[in-house]
This record gives sequence, C-alpha cells and structure tokens, in this order.
Amino acid sequence: MRPLLAMSQNKTEFQRFKILKGIIFAALAIILVRLFFIQIIEHDDWVAKAEKQHTLLKTITARRGEIYMMNQGEPVVVVLNQTTYQIVIDPTITKKEDIEKALNTYAKDYATANLDEIYSQEGLRYAIVAKNIPHDIAEAIAKSDIPAIWLKKTNQRVYPEGELAANVLGFVNADGVGQYGIEGALNDVLSGKDGLLKTTADINKVALSIGNDNIKIPAEDGKNVILSIDRGFEQGVEEIASAALANSAATNVAILAMDPNNGEIMAMANLPSYNPGDYGKVKDASAYINYTTEVPYEPASVCKSFAFSAAINEGKMNADTIYTNRGYEIIDGQTINNAEKRASLNGTINMRTALYWSLNTGSIHALKLLGDNTIEITSAAREKLYDYYYNKFRLGRATGIELYESPGLVWEPHAEIYGLNAAYANMTFGQNLSLTMVQVASAFSAVVNGGTYYTPTIVKSPSLTTELTQEKILSDDTSAAMRDLLINNRSNKVLRGIDKSGYAIGGKTGTAQTIKDGAYTMDEYIGSYVGFVGAKGELPKIVIMVKMWGEGEHIEGNKDPMSLFDSLSNYAIDYFKIKPGV
Amino acid sequence: MKNRKHKSDLVILFATLGLMALGLIVIYAIGPMRANVLNSTYGTDYDSNYFFLNQLRSVGLSLIAFFAAFKWISYRYVKKFAKPIMIIALAISALLWVLAISGSSLAKCELGECRWFNLGPVSFQPAEILKFALVVYLADFLTRKKEEGSIGKWKEFWLPLLIVCGLSLFLVVIAQGDLGTGVALIAIIFSTLLVVGVPTKQYLIMLALVLAVAIGAVATSSHRMQRVDAWLTTLSGGESTNSTYHIDNAMLAIGVGGFFGVGVGNSVQATGYLPESINDSVFAIMGETFGFIGLLLIILVFGALLTRTLKVAERTSEANERLFVTGVFAWTLAQVVVNIMAMTSLVPVTGITLPLLSYGGTSMIFIAFALGLVLQISCYTSREVNIKNENISSRRGIRGAHYSSRRRRS
Repeated sequence: MRPLLAMSQNKTEFQRFKILKGIIFAALAIILVRLFFIQIIEHDDWVAKAEKQHTLLKTITARRGEIYMMNQGEPVVVVLNQTTYQIVIDPTITKKEDIEKALNTYAKDYATANLDEIYSQEGLRYAIVAKNIPHDIAEAIAKSDIPAIWLKKTNQRVYPEGELAANVLGFVNADGVGQYGIEGALNDVLSGKDGLLKTTADINKVALSIGNDNIKIPAEDGKNVILSIDRGFEQGVEEIASAALANSAATNVAILAMDPNNGEIMAMANLPSYNPGDYGKVKDASAYINYTTEVPYEPASVCKSFAFSAAINEGKMNADTIYTNRGYEIIDGQTINNAEKRASLNGTINMRTALYWSLNTGSIHALKLLGDNTIEITSAAREKLYDYYYNKFRLGRATGIELYESPGLVWEPHAEIYGLNAAYANMTFGQNLSLTMVQVASAFSAVVNGGTYYTPTIVKSPSLTTELTQEKILSDDTSAAMRDLLINNRSNKVLRGIDKSGYAIGGKTGTAQTIKDGAYTMDEYIGSYVGFVGAKGELPKIVIMVKMWGEGEHIEGNKDPMSLFDSLSNYAIDYFKIKPGV
Repeated sequence: MKNRKHKSDLVILFATLGLMALGLIVIYAIGPMRANVLNSTYGTDYDSNYFFLNQLRSVGLSLIAFFAAFKWISYRYVKKFAKPIMIIALAISALLWVLAISGSSLAKCELGECRWFNLGPVSFQPAEILKFALVVYLADFLTRKKEEGSIGKWKEFWLPLLIVCGLSLFLVVIAQGDLGTGVALIAIIFSTLLVVGVPTKQYLIMLALVLAVAIGAVATSSHRMQRVDAWLTTLSGGESTNSTYHIDNAMLAIGVGGFFGVGVGNSVQATGYLPESINDSVFAIMGETFGFIGLLLIILVFGALLTRTLKVAERTSEANERLFVTGVFAWTLAQVVVNIMAMTSLVPVTGITLPLLSYGGTSMIFIAFALGLVLQISCYTSREVNIKNENISSRRGIRGAHYSSRRRRS
C-alpha cells in the first residue's frame, strides 16, 4: 500500500472543503428563503392568479323551444333547432395541407375561410375554417386525426316552412335573441334560462374534477310554443292572398282570421313575406313587421258595425229606425260627406239602408241617438260611444295577444282637442282614431258571436295570458240584429252566387283616407274588409279581416279587399268543411 | 493506503432511494395529465400510464446501475478506464453533432436543439455520459498531475486540461445548445480543481476567464438573452410575456402550493399550464403538490445527500476517489441548485433536470451509477477527517481499534 497522499493531509484542503460546504448551505438557504417568500408571503397573490388562469366560466346554453302550428287538430313543428358544427383550428399546430385536404374531402360546401390568409397571419392560434356542418360530416372530420382541430357546436334555427307566416314567427338573430313575431315577443319563454359552469379546467379548457368550488347550474330549456294557427289554412290563405296581390294595385296585404267563439287566431298573414332562415337578406326592415298587430291605422267604415251595435244594444235604434239623409253633415264647422252620393238615397231612409250603402250620416245618426238627441252630438253620446269603443270593444288599447302590438288611439269623450264632436262623428265610421287589425277583428267577433268579447290569442300552449279572456258586452238580440244587417250588406253576393246558399256570410267594407304629414290626403286609400262565415242559422265559425294597401294607391274596401274576402270565405268553408245550414 | 471496509453511508443510500420513490409518485400522479395534454393538443396517442411506466423502467434501470456501482463494479476498476471513457464520451457527442448537422434522423431534436440519439424505441442523451466521463477523467488526470507535481504548469497541466474541458464544453454548450449541462461541467471542473489545489491566482484567472466566455456566449445568443430578459422581467415583477410564460407558471405552481400543498393528484398546473411539468419543471409541481413543508423536506434530503457526499470526499484517503466524489458532488449540486433556482426565478431558465426526481432515463441512470460509486467509496472512509491525523505516521492503531470494536463487518 501507498502511504497517505500528502495532499489530503493539510489544512488548506480542509479549508477548501469548507468552501464547498459553504456553497451548499448558502445556496440551499437562499432557496429556502425564496420559497418561504413565494409560498408563504405571496401565497394569496398566486392563488388569485391561479384562479384567474384555471377557472373556466362557461354558460350552458339552454335549448330554445320549438314553435308548432296546428294541423287538423294536431300540432306540427314549424320552427326547430338543428345542431351544426364549426371547425376551429390552431394554425400554429394544424398543418395547412392536412386541413385543406380534409375540407376538400368532406366539407367543401361549408368552408368559410381563406386558408392562405389564415396561415399568413403570424401567431394566430384560433381560426374558424368551416361553418354549419351537419353532424355526420363533422364526425368524419373528427376521425381524420388532424392535430389541433376542434369541432364547435352551434345551434341553428331552422324554418322548414320557408316564408309561411314569417311575420308571425319572426327570427333569431346571430346572438340567439328572437326578433319580431313570436320569436321576439316570446323570446323569454322560448329561450329558457342558460345555466352556468364554473370549474377548474386544464389548458385545453376541459373541466377537471380538481377544486372545491366548482359550480354547475343546469340550463332550463325553453318551452315549446304551440300556435293556434292552422298550418294548412294559413298556407291556403297566403296562396290566395298572393294571387290577389298579384292582380291588385296594392303592394301589401295583411290578413287575420280568428275563431269568434274563443278568440283564437286561425291565420295571420302578411305579404310580401320573407324567409326567417335568411332574414339577413331582407333589405328593408319593414318586411319584418306584422301589420295585423303592430301597426295601427284608420280602418274606416268597418267601424260602423261598432257604432251601430252600441246604439242597438242601448235600445236607441234598430235596423228600421229612420233618419233624414242629406248626403252630408256639418259638425264643428266641418262638412262630413258620404262617399256614396247617389240622389235616390237622399231623404228619409232606415239604418239598414244606411249601413248597406255605408253612409257616414247613418253612423253619425247612431251616435246622436246614443245621447238621446236627433239633432246634435251631446257629451252623453260621446261618453256612451267611448264606453263601447274603449271599454267594451277594447279599441285603442292593446288586446293582450301574445305578440308585439301597438295600442292605437281612441279619443276620450272630454279630450281637449279642437272639434271633438267632429272627431267623434269621424270615429263612428272609423276615422280620426287608430286601431290595429286584431283590435277590429276581435271587436267584430264580439258583434257577431252573440255579444261576447274574447281576448284574441295565438298561443295554445303554454298558457301565457292571465288577463281577461271573455266578457259579455252585447245582448244576444243586438248581436243577432247586427248579423242580419251584415248579411244584408252582402245580399248581392248571394244573388251573384259568390256566397253559397246555406251559409251565413256577412261583412263590412272600409276605405280610409290616409294621413300624410298630419293631414288627410286623397292620394292614398287603405282598403279593408271584415266579415264572418258560418252555417245559415248558426253562430259564425270564423271572422276574417283583410287589409290591402300600396304607396300612393287608391285601394277601396269594396273592391280588391272585398273580393279577396270572397275567396277566403269560400276557402274557409271548404277547408274547415263547414256544413250548410237551413 | 486503503482504509478497512465498513458500512456504507446510509444517508446517501436512503436519500437516493427516497428521492427516486418520490419522483415516481409524482410522475404517477401527473403522468396521465401530461399524456392527456399531449394527446389533445398534438393528437398523439399516449396511454395514461405511459409516463409512469417509462419512469418505472428508468427507476428500475437506475436501481440496477446504482447497486451495480455500489456492490459489484469496483471504482478501482472504473478509474483505470478514465481515458477511454472520456474519449468515447467525446466521440459520441461529436457523432451526435455531425448527425445533427447532416440532418440524420438518428439525432433527435427538440426546439432546435439536438441533444438525443434516437435509437428506435429508446432515446439517449450523450451529455449525461460526458458529465460522468469528465468526473472520472478529471479525478484520474488531476491525481496523476498532483503526483507528478506538475499542477499549475502550463504545458503539462493547463494545456491538456483546457483541451479536454474546452472540447467538452464546446460539444455540450455550442453543439447541443445545452447551457444547463455546461453549468454542471463547469461546476465539476472548478470544484475538483479547488480540491486538488491549483495555485489560487491561476484558479481565479481561469474562473474569471470561464465566466467571461460564459457571459459572452449568453450575450451573443438571442434565445439565451431572451431567457435572461424573461428572468429579469419576472424578478422585477413586470408584465407577463410569451417568454416569461414558463417561469411565471413555475412560480405560480410553487406559490399556489402554500404551506401544505394541494395534495397528490390535485395539481392543476400539471394539466398543461406548466411546460416541462414532468421533467425540468417537476420541482414546481412538487411545490404545488407538497407545499413549503414538502419542498423543505426535499431540500433537506438533497442537502443531506450533498453534505454526506462531501463528507465521503473529505474522509477518503485515496486522492483519485476524493476527486471523483467531489466531482459527483459538484455535478449533483449544480443540477439541484440551478434547477431549483430557475424554478424560483433566482436564475434564468436553462433547461436542466432535477437529479433523481425528473422524468428521464439517461440522466437518472448516470447519476444513480455515480452515486452508487460514491456509496461504494463511502465504505472505505476514515471516521475522522484526515487532517486530524496530519502528523501521525501511522493511523492504523487508532482507526483499527476504533472500528474493530463497533463497526467491523465481514
């Protein structure tokens, strides 16, 4: 054996090991102080930072309710949801050739992005390359094993009926919020309530089971809405209306058909229509409007039915009551003329004749009678008419139908306006007030159904209205008398074979001057017709109201709207197989 | 002369085994997360147990290497091959460099740095052999020069030393871009030089020279400057950027751990937020999992391992063995300190494994083998530091009597 090496035997070497030992202790001590600082002193800060980084907040999207119409008594879906997929890539990982090939193979029609453009952007880590892909194609792409490719689920609203009742249905915008129609008005019912997921997640945003304050509030899905509209009938109504519009100077038509015996809407049409699935292509947002509820107008002489009903119901007159027709009336210094000026009508005529020829002097006379005065319009007369119009027929106020609606306006009997009596005289023949079609049709239903007002409704399920649903406002006799008068209006239709025998069909025209820049103009007329259809000797089965108009066009109620009603009334008899009475 | 054999250093034994076991537990907990992140991000198909089973295999091989070095392969035998080992290590490092330059698929590159041989199912990192080889070589070289009395002489000592060390550093730092291993090599070189006792003035000049070259190497490399920049940003509490992401998330993991940690299996940072979570950043995950108390224990275990290793060096009578153990000590210390300091933002991130804990085969096998040899050498230490025997011509009487009463083993 060798002797011990001298080098291991000196003090300096001992010192050198001390240096190395010192390095260990110094380094480890520095590290421990540092760790104490990070883990104990700064702990809360790091936890807060970590929470920010690790917490995934995600809304759980509620499923939007679907919309149904009725079809021969059975609900049938007209608006539904479809799950489609978007393809999202991370351009820093996904190879361009791979995604290009996959898109060309499976989803050529759905590609939405220019790949060259995406790949030319430095540092881009998220890009949508295809949209609206159906499930099976999405699955095929998912199986193609391309790195960093995600399929993002999206919900698409589908309108299989295309333009049918589009203004009633509305659409859903890109943010998932319903706009116009049922989609808009019942958005809260349809959309339900989104849930919330708050969870710790990994770097790919996949939820982890780690963590104590993970929250999951499940989504409450939206309710399905069943409309009272009959799909088949709606379709027929729109086809007939479309044909009528094609042969008319009018550019627009709005139609409302309802069951007078319960207030349910059976058809509601606005033409021209649009496709809610492609709502973005509409140039003018007025195409979305539902004119039956959202736009009040002066419906004109159709309102004579209401003035007559009021006077008859108050026992102030009947169909045979006579008055002197001079062809005009001067009230508050204004001259109100009849539209029908034939001389044979001048002199003493009865109310039946006045309504048949739609004489404004007749309805003004009815108003006077409401105040027990044959010479002038008293405040009592105004109060009575207002009571009928506003309180009983619910004109000039929102009906409560489950759609967006405008209230319109009916002057109060003591309103501080110039020429209040003239205004009231005008109101008897449907001018100087503004009403929606649904107000008029609902009031008209009460006139002809035996005297009960039903709140109009378009939703069968779920039940949404808690307001009044029915109120008896006219006596049975008044209603019967009014039916006779309205049927009498169409006596020539029976003679000409337009109204089939065995059926009770009555109605009233309306031709309104329009207000342009605050004054009545002769440049444009809006034509309306409201009528009922039923078996002879029975209560009416359906009330149909038609409104036609066009910019600068003179649409008179007794022309295009009336003939459209003629077609629709016959179609309703056929469609609902209403049996003739005796 | 050789001391009589006695019991090995149990602290080194149990610290080594304990750290390996701990590493295995942590990889078991976070391996599935790693697999999941890779699978969902890169479309790979790793089984959730892939990383654990791989680590289990590495630990198994490391244990074999450790006990083989401890029990069967005598260090006296190993040191005879100091030169061939060094030549082989340099040769394969050079080969890797050539392969990488020629774009061969045998060289496995990640993030532009080619540090691995790709041999089918296994990959292998030559820098680990180089560290081991340099330790063995320097022990041999310095012992010989000491005996020759040529320490400090330019031609006989510094020139060959500069060639071998310079070549090693070139292959590791420049060719492989592995500054972390470079730091370990420098630590090995200078700690053995310190122990062998080169003239203080020369030692300091060399140290200054190496530091100057190192600073120059960092300053001229844009990606290293970026790391220094990121480190300074993090230290000064500046805004997070892409380059501070790694260190930000390492600190976050450690900070979230708090005093007691979030517990095994509850690490969120391991689910993809912290890069290199199973290898270079495993210390941060341990900080998150076991908290301050856990890290304190881990550091104490490393501290014990290091001080005991140093003690073995101190008490070994053979010069070569002493330098070898010192080299292993410096190697371990450098990796532990640089790794942990990087994770705690005390130094810039360099990319270096935490010995015995990080996921990875080659690095663990070689350090286990080296520690096994240290353990073997620990069986031949004297109880007292040799200095105390300075003026005693023969220590046999003292030591023999001492051990024969208590620690003799056959």
